[in-house]
Amino acid sequence: MSVREWLAVAMFASFILGILTGFPVAWILGGIAILFTAIAVIVERDFGFYTGVDWSYASLVGDRIWDLMDNWVLVALPMFVCMGLLLDRAGIAADLMRDVSRLFGRMRGGLAVTVALIGVVLAASTGIIGASVVLLALLGLPPMLEARYAPTYAAGTVCAVGTLGILIPPSIMLVLMADRLAMSVGDLFLGAVIPGLLLAALYILFLIALPAFRPEIAPAPEEAEPVDLSLILSVFRDIVPAAALILAVLGSIFFGIATPTEASGVGAFGALLLAAWRKRLGRSVLQDVLRETSLTTGYLFGIFVGASAFALVLRGLGGDELIARGLMGLPFGPSGVVLSILFVTFLLGFFLDWIEITFIVLPLVAPVVVELGFDLVWFTVLFAVCLQTSFLTPPVGFALFYVKGVAPPEIDVRTLYIGILPFVGLQLIGLALIFMWPELATWLPAQAYGTP
Amino acid sequence: MRLPKVRMTNDGVSTGPPVPDPPSRIERVLDRVGTLVSWVWLLLIAVIVLAVVLRFVFGIGRIELEELQWHLYAIGFLAGIVGCAVHDRHVRVDVLRERMSPRLRDWVDLYGILLFQIPLVVLVLVSAVPIVIESFATGEESSSAGGLPYRWILKAVLPIAFIGVGAASVTRLREVGTRLFGAEAAKSRSVRE
Repeated sequence: MSVREWLAVAMFASFILGILTGFPVAWILGGIAILFTAIAVIVERDFGFYTGVDWSYASLVGDRIWDLMDNWVLVALPMFVCMGLLLDRAGIAADLMRDVSRLFGRMRGGLAVTVALIGVVLAASTGIIGASVVLLALLGLPPMLEARYAPTYAAGTVCAVGTLGILIPPSIMLVLMADRLAMSVGDLFLGAVIPGLLLAALYILFLIALPAFRPEIAPAPEEAEPVDLSLILSVFRDIVPAAALILAVLGSIFFGIATPTEASGVGAFGALLLAAWRKRLGRSVLQDVLRETSLTTGYLFGIFVGASAFALVLRGLGGDELIARGLMGLPFGPSGVVLSILFVTFLLGFFLDWIEITFIVLPLVAPVVVELGFDLVWFTVLFAVCLQTSFLTPPVGFALFYVKGVAPPEIDVRTLYIGILPFVGLQLIGLALIFMWPELATWLPAQAYGTP
Repeated sequence: MRLPKVRMTNDGVSTGPPVPDPPSRIERVLDRVGTLVSWVWLLLIAVIVLAVVLRFVFGIGRIELEELQWHLYAIGFLAGIVGCAVHDRHVRVDVLRERMSPRLRDWVDLYGILLFQIPLVVLVLVSAVPIVIESFATGEESSSAGGLPYRWILKAVLPIAFIGVGAASVTRLREVGTRLFGAEAAKSRSVRE
């Protein structure tokens, strides 16, 4: 390895150490880029080693940020954030929890299944794990614990289901991945639909099956009200407008009628109407939602700006060739290379958020995978599932931290870890299924566009 | 990662934080501007809906509407970056920070701002200002027919936003500095000694 490649490795290591200080990730990324530019300049001037990075190279960061500004695809990002916030403020999740749990009232584990179903609906509306995990924990944990469900079972459900949001379209993570890899957002959304629903189905099967074998985990409800027509009607009334909105947004993208940007804007408009129709949209709520859209978009793009500077300097130091050569040199064959990438991504997910991994790591590894002859949609979906799994996994699963932060005191860290284990198993099964049958990810995009 | 702040509202649960008034005057000004700018999202929704209606109902594609969309989006996200700097909402990895004493956190922030945040602000300003000047000098407009003119105005939003980030970081630096080295800190140190 040359000196500049050692610098690239040191740069990545410094970044991981840097974020552990708890200083904002966006500034750490940008600051490390500047620090290593300075080091590269000194190494080249005073020690005579070629580094390829100097101050005029680093000042290309202005153009990189302009590329983010002049980007019509990423306009969809704040619009999806805004749509998710509006659906959240419209109180749909709370109403669903009330009515759907009555629908499943007589079933063992019915509340957990309810949380899973709401998670899928929420997943389609937000795509920010923090938000959906917290919302599910606040809505779902108290009734489950009150019904004397095992705390491990209840907590595991909330964590796992909440992370589905970053996978099930429209997910802002998938929008960013598609943008960074210059692929079609529609293709990637389509590719993630079956894997996302597959994981949701695995969860629900598990949630139903476990209490059947171990009844003490979820006692049968003592006084369940009968399911009557009015209950079914009210469930429909809760679910239909939101579901129709989400399906319309996705459908218009899938059938190529609208671009993701158009669909996201119209989706946000629909959510606005829905919130107004449910009389939840006062001026102060609207101002609050818009402001929150700014701040959520702000922290995403803060990291984008920092990561732009970081990726620029890392590339200047030859980081991309280093990764490509390292991956190609692995003695495992093509599938082994993909598995190695996924494993490392899984480990990185312990420390880094999806934003940095998508912005910095994914563009480095994706070309290698394409060169090996794999389908890019398939790989990106695997990458996404892998990231989602790592958010569930101790020691540093982000979803676990979120739930811990809002859960009642009887949910301690141990309970969370035990509760999450079976779901990590299900995730790995899902990952293996997608790995073995790439059609799970590639079939739907091929159908929509008629390409073989 | 930082926990999203949670509150209960009359309508149930909301994951949005109550946004408190920031303490200093500069931050209050930045905050007010940010709140005002956040209405671009509503404007953006309106522009997208208008463009979609024109395209699907009347079969008219307007390039200026499409460009207006990413112009508004760029203004919105840059204002958001400033807003997060003011409200300390940029993502932090809290795993170790949770266990740090408040004083150690202040030290981390002090060095973080001096070594990472302010240099980044300077680099962005140094690289963005010439882009704006060049755009202004050449009278740059959209390269597509019917696109928007005066591109330098949009390009100028980037350095303006980062001046905002710089202002927020200096204010924060002063806050942290007061806690670490100010009269109060000196007093409590002398008491301990």
